[in-house]
Amino acid sequence: MLGPDVAWYVAVAAVLFGIGALGVLIRRNTLVVLLSLELMLNAGNLALIALSRHWHNGSGQIFALAVMAVAASEVCVGLGLVVALNRRRLSLDVDTLSELRG
Amino acid sequence: MLNTSEIAGSWLCLLAPLGGTILITLLGTRIPRVAAGWIATTSVFVAFGGAIWAFVGVHGNPTDASNVHCVTNAANPVCGGSGEITTAWTWLQSGSFHVGLSLLVDPLSTVMMLIVSGVGGLIVLYSIGYMDGDDEERRYFAYISFFVFSMLLLVEGGNLLLLLAGWGLVGLSSYLLIGFWHERPSAVQAAKKAFVMNAFGDATMALAFFILIAHTHSLAFATSFAAVPHLSGTAVDLVALGLLGGAAAKSAQIPLQTWLPDAMEGPTPVSALIHAATMVTAGVYLIARTHPIFEQARTIELIAAGTGALTLLVAGLIALVQTDIKRVIAYSTMSQIGYMFLGAGVGAYSSGMFHLMTHAFFKALLFMTAGLAIHALAGEQDIRNMRGLGRLMPFTKWCFLAGALALVGIPPFSGFFSKDSIVASTAALGTWYGWIFWVCGIAGAFLTGLYTFRLWFLVFPGEPSPFVREHHHKHHGREGAWTMLVPVGVLAVLATVGGWLQWSPQWHPFSNWLEPAARTLAVAAPTNTQEYYTSVATVLAGLAGIAVAWAIYSERKLAIPAAPFWRRTLEHKFWFDELYDAVFYKPAAVFAAALRREFEEPVVLQTGPDLGRTTLETGGFVRRIQTGLLRTYVLFLAAGAAGVVLAFLIAK
Repeated sequence: MLGPDVAWYVAVAAVLFGIGALGVLIRRNTLVVLLSLELMLNAGNLALIALSRHWHNGSGQIFALAVMAVAASEVCVGLGLVVALNRRRLSLDVDTLSELRG
Repeated sequence: MLNTSEIAGSWLCLLAPLGGTILITLLGTRIPRVAAGWIATTSVFVAFGGAIWAFVGVHGNPTDASNVHCVTNAANPVCGGSGEITTAWTWLQSGSFHVGLSLLVDPLSTVMMLIVSGVGGLIVLYSIGYMDGDDEERRYFAYISFFVFSMLLLVEGGNLLLLLAGWGLVGLSSYLLIGFWHERPSAVQAAKKAFVMNAFGDATMALAFFILIAHTHSLAFATSFAAVPHLSGTAVDLVALGLLGGAAAKSAQIPLQTWLPDAMEGPTPVSALIHAATMVTAGVYLIARTHPIFEQARTIELIAAGTGALTLLVAGLIALVQTDIKRVIAYSTMSQIGYMFLGAGVGAYSSGMFHLMTHAFFKALLFMTAGLAIHALAGEQDIRNMRGLGRLMPFTKWCFLAGALALVGIPPFSGFFSKDSIVASTAALGTWYGWIFWVCGIAGAFLTGLYTFRLWFLVFPGEPSPFVREHHHKHHGREGAWTMLVPVGVLAVLATVGGWLQWSPQWHPFSNWLEPAARTLAVAAPTNTQEYYTSVATVLAGLAGIAVAWAIYSERKLAIPAAPFWRRTLEHKFWFDELYDAVFYKPAAVFAAALRREFEEPVVLQTGPDLGRTTLETGGFVRRIQTGLLRTYVLFLAAGAAGVVLAFLIAK
């Protein structure tokens, strides 16, 4: 068995996920919210790959690849929106973007 | 065996008017108005040609004296009797019960085909002149050729279901044509009234057919008639009663008569064709056609005769006080159909049918001469304004006189030959009710003379009244367009000589012709003595009626008896309308009003707004969670995910 026990990997993933979630919840800068989202996705990837290795099952790695593709597309869209907001000289504060209030 | 001319003639006769309707409808405004009239006229005359073709075919076919004995088979019709059935295809099949799209060509149906398409063709030709200048002529001619098609389907239908289909379709086209001038509220109401009354009759007829299907598993004439004698008395009585209901509604007999006078709201040629010559006599045709059923239910058949006797008196009495020229003739029609019912009801089918034919001639003639008068007076229909019209319209006057004499039954005009044999067959019954019918027939002849010549003396002789002088106008120097005058002339000749086909004591080709299809019952076959004394009595009664009319309305030697009660009763048409209003309309209206007040308004009308308000309130409450803040949504998302995880953990 190479490297540390699988529990460590899962723990690191949980911590990363928590940091990401907290970032999404409390940060107001759109760019930082996007970064926090990426953090959450990668936390998931870490857990998937670690557990895949632990159980000797390749599915988790395939999932991780799929998540990367989704993350890349999401960043494309998200960063595109941020750039568009910036070009129109609009605020990047997510709380000011609340026109869909019911 | 079936011969070609019967098949081709009957189908041509049926389909030509339908083709006319379709053509007029499809061409629409691409053809001039007058072309629509000529398409309709041509199609109906083509149908008449088909009818003659079929007639020649039946005539050339050796017939045996038995009734219709056909085995209908879609591929190979086998007929042993006089009625030839031609089947196009199986129209309807349900288990062992099947109905073919088949036509019956026998002496009875060919007679009806000739009358409907022949008189119909003349009346459609007359319509070209009468409807000239109307805004919607094309619609009129499409309707009227559709009517002729429906009527031909009724008389040619090779089974009871097709007969019922034609029965319904003539009701529909009658409705459309009565309400043709749809901008007049009274016309629309009259159309509705006619439709509702006829729907009642259609319903009783349909019920009769259901009983017949249940017991005989067939609606083909031959098989169901063959099975009728094996049915229980009650079943046959019910079937006959249902058929009688249909016949009475269509033929405006008591108690379903109130729609016919109102139907005069339609154009005059419609009154002549539908409400005098053809559709209203369909009840008589029905009784003659289904006589094997009626003979098994003799009581019901005699009730039909009694209905006819009652109607001929009541309608004759009401006609005495009417002031609208068309309504007088309409009541006269009811009265004459009463005679036909009387004849068919006692079992003298051929006499009834003969009167149907002569009546088609002289009543269409009377309506069309009335139409000429109305046309010349710019729509005036009140006879009290018409005095002295004969001076200005001699042709109309003489044609009307021919029709009037035929109606009263003065020899040698046609009505004499047909009406007398009906009254004579009631004498042949020899029973107490037979004599009551006989007396009714004679009294009816007196009333006929009285109301017909009241009309004559009020409208035609004498110096023209100021009203007539002021309103009368000629059509290109004549009394009407030639398309109107020619049919009137032809019908005047027919009304005069049409009865010579048969003088029952000596000469009866018409009865012989109909014998294979509808043989007169032995009990209703009068002896020559009965024929002679009945003829003398009816002619004397008719002359007496004319004399009284002359004394009252021309010479004013006799005063009209002042009997206010009777006068009011007659003017209110024996209060039938008021009675039906009180018995059927008022309770229904009260019930409907109560339903509206108690159910519609508190329940039905409230439910919708209540539902809407509740939805709005709920929505207003729920919208508060839509803050528009991204982080709130993320919080909900996280809480939801946490909830799901928690739920899984607990479930574990």
